[in-house]
Amino acid sequence: MTESSEKRTVLSVKNLTQRFDDNIVFEDVSFDVYQGEVLVIVGGSGCGKSTLLKIMIGLQKPYAGQVLYQGTDITRASDEALNEYRKNIGVLFQSGALFSSMSIKENIALPLQEYTDLDADTIDRVIRMKLGMVNLAGYENHNPSELSGGMKKRAGIARAMALDPRVLFLDELSAGLDPITAVELDDLIIKTNEALGTTMVIVTHELESIYKIAHRVLMLDKEARGMIAEGRPLELKENATDPRVRSFFLRQLPENQDEQRFYAD
Amino acid sequence: MTTPRNIDGQDGYQVSFQKENESLLISLKGEFGLKNLTAFTREIRQAVSGHAIPTLTIDFSQVKYLDSAAALAFVQMEQEAASRKTNCHLANLSEEARGIFSVIHPDVLTRRPFKPEHTGEGVVQQIGQASLSIGRDFVNFITFIGDLLSALAYTVTHPATLRGKDVLFYVQRAGVDGLPIVILIGALMGLIMAFMSYLQFKQFGANIYVPTLVSFAMIKELGPIMTAILVAGRSGSAFAAEIGTMQVNEEVDALETMGFDPVRFLAVPKVLAAVIVVPILTVYADVSGILGGLIIGVTTLDLTFKTYISQSIKTIQVFDVVTSLIKAAVFAGLISAIGCQRGFQVRAGAQDVGKFTTSAVVAAIFLIVLTDSIFAVMLYYVKRYSVFA
Repeated sequence: MTESSEKRTVLSVKNLTQRFDDNIVFEDVSFDVYQGEVLVIVGGSGCGKSTLLKIMIGLQKPYAGQVLYQGTDITRASDEALNEYRKNIGVLFQSGALFSSMSIKENIALPLQEYTDLDADTIDRVIRMKLGMVNLAGYENHNPSELSGGMKKRAGIARAMALDPRVLFLDELSAGLDPITAVELDDLIIKTNEALGTTMVIVTHELESIYKIAHRVLMLDKEARGMIAEGRPLELKENATDPRVRSFFLRQLPENQDEQRFYAD
Repeated sequence: MTTPRNIDGQDGYQVSFQKENESLLISLKGEFGLKNLTAFTREIRQAVSGHAIPTLTIDFSQVKYLDSAAALAFVQMEQEAASRKTNCHLANLSEEARGIFSVIHPDVLTRRPFKPEHTGEGVVQQIGQASLSIGRDFVNFITFIGDLLSALAYTVTHPATLRGKDVLFYVQRAGVDGLPIVILIGALMGLIMAFMSYLQFKQFGANIYVPTLVSFAMIKELGPIMTAILVAGRSGSAFAAEIGTMQVNEEVDALETMGFDPVRFLAVPKVLAAVIVVPILTVYADVSGILGGLIIGVTTLDLTFKTYISQSIKTIQVFDVVTSLIKAAVFAGLISAIGCQRGFQVRAGAQDVGKFTTSAVVAAIFLIVLTDSIFAVMLYYVKRYSVFA
C-alpha cells in the first residue's frame, strides 16, 4: 500500500453491535477497510474477533449496525445481493475448510466452474497459476488429507483467491502452525498483497506475524465490549497508553493484575 | 479496425486493433478480468489468427483493472505467439499490472502433478479390490469382536470400571426413544398380517387360525427381526456416526493416550445397552403385533376378544418366547458391535463418516438375516432332540 495515495474505502463497518440474548459481544464498533491494506484484528479470546469476521462475510446477522460494501449494507442485503458480494470476497477458514471429498484441484475449480464461463482448459490453467502463487504447484491431484497443516492453509488461500477477490478474509491465519510455516505464510500474504493489491482482513494473535504483515491493527477487548485501539502495530507497541493494549503488544500481564489473573483462572 | 464496447459498465472493456505494415498493435481499454475473460480472449484470438504477424504489441496503458486470470490469459497469448515465431510484446504495463504478472510463473503452468489424476480401475482390478476388501473386512470384524469380548470380560471381572451412566444413556437412546416406532410398526405388521391371512383363510373357513398365524410369526420371526432392523437403522448408525466423528476429531486417539481402551470406553456401554434393550423392545413388538391382529380379528373376523387371545396363548410356547429373546439379544450384540467397529474404521473426513455409517446399517441388516437363518436351522434340531419336544 502506498502511503501517499488517497485511501479508498472498500468496506465500511458502522456502529456494529452484536449480542446473543443478554450477552453483549461488542457494541458500537465502527471502522473502515481501505483499498489494498492489510488490516489485522486482534484481541484476547472471547473478544468477538471471529464474530466480527463472520458478520463482515455475511454469515451472521448483527444485532445492530451496518457493513457497507459499494454502498450496499450487506447485513440487510437480499440473498442475491449477498451472493454478488460473496463473489467479490474470499475467505480462509481457521482449518482451511477444504472439502475433504475433493482433490485440491476440484476444490479450487468449484467457484470457477460455478461463477465464470471459462472452459475446462482455462480453468485448469488458472488453477495451476493459483497453486503456483501459493507454492503448491504440482499438488492438484492430492487430497486435502494428504497435505500438512500449512499446506492446507495455502491451498485454502488458493481457493479463496480463485475468483480474484477484492477483499480476502483470513481467520486465525497462523494458529497451530510451526514458526517456519507461519513465516512462509506471512511472506505469502505480503507477496500477494503487494503483487495483486488484494485488500486483506486478518484475524490473528501471533505478535510476530502482526508486526510483519499488518499495515493497521484494530484491537477489540472483551471487557470494553468493543474497539480499544487502532493504528500501526509498532506505534501501538511504543506509544499506547492503555494498559490492555500495552500488555498485549508487550506480551505481559497488566501490572498488579498478575495475581488476580492467577487466582481468577 | 476497432471493436467498440461499452466501457461504462462494471466489466466494460474495449479492444482495438491497428495494423501497420508488418506489425499489429492491440490497445486495451477498461477492465479485464474473470468476468469478460472468455469474450476478450476470443476477440483477440480471432484478430490474430489466420495471418502471419511478425510483431505483436499489446498496449496496457489504458487498462483500469486487471486480475490475475486475465494476466494469465495474456501470458498464454505471449507463449502462443512465440510458438508462431511472432515477436510479442506487452507494453506500458502499470506498476500494479507488473505486480500481477510477477506472480505468474510460466514453468508452473506446465509442471506435471506429483500424483496422477485418479482414474477408475478396470473390471478385473475392481473385482480383485472388492474381494480383498471383503476379506479384510471379515478379518477386521473378527478382530474387533475379539477385542470387544476381552473388553467385556474385563468389565465383568472389574464391574467398577463400567461406565454405568453411559449404559443408562444408551438404554434411553436406543430403547426408550425407540419404543414408539417399534410399537407402531409392530401393531401395523400384526394388522396387515391378520388381514392378509384372513383373505386366504376365509376360503376354507379357517378364520380361527388367523390368531395362531399372527402370534406364531410375530414371536418366532417378525418381532425379533423387525425390532433388530429398526434398532440397526436408529442406533447402529448413530453408534457408527458418533465414534466416527470422535475418530475424526482425534478424541479416540486422546482416549488411547490417556490410557483408556477405546473399545472398553466407547463400545462396551453401547453393546451392553443394546443387549439389555433390544429383547425388551422385541417383547413390545410381539405384544403390539398380536394386538394389531386382534383389531382385525374382532372387527373383521367375527372372533371374540376372548377367543382371539386364547387362540394366541395356545400357540405361544415358552421355548419360542425364550429363544426369540435370545435371538433378539444376539442381534443386538451384532448390530451394536458392527456399528462401533465401523465407527472405529473412520480415518478422516466427513465423507468417511457417511460411508461407514451406511456400511454399519447394511452390514447389520445382512448379519441379522444371516444369523436368523442359522437360528432357524439350529432351533429346529434343538427342539427335536431336546426335552421340549
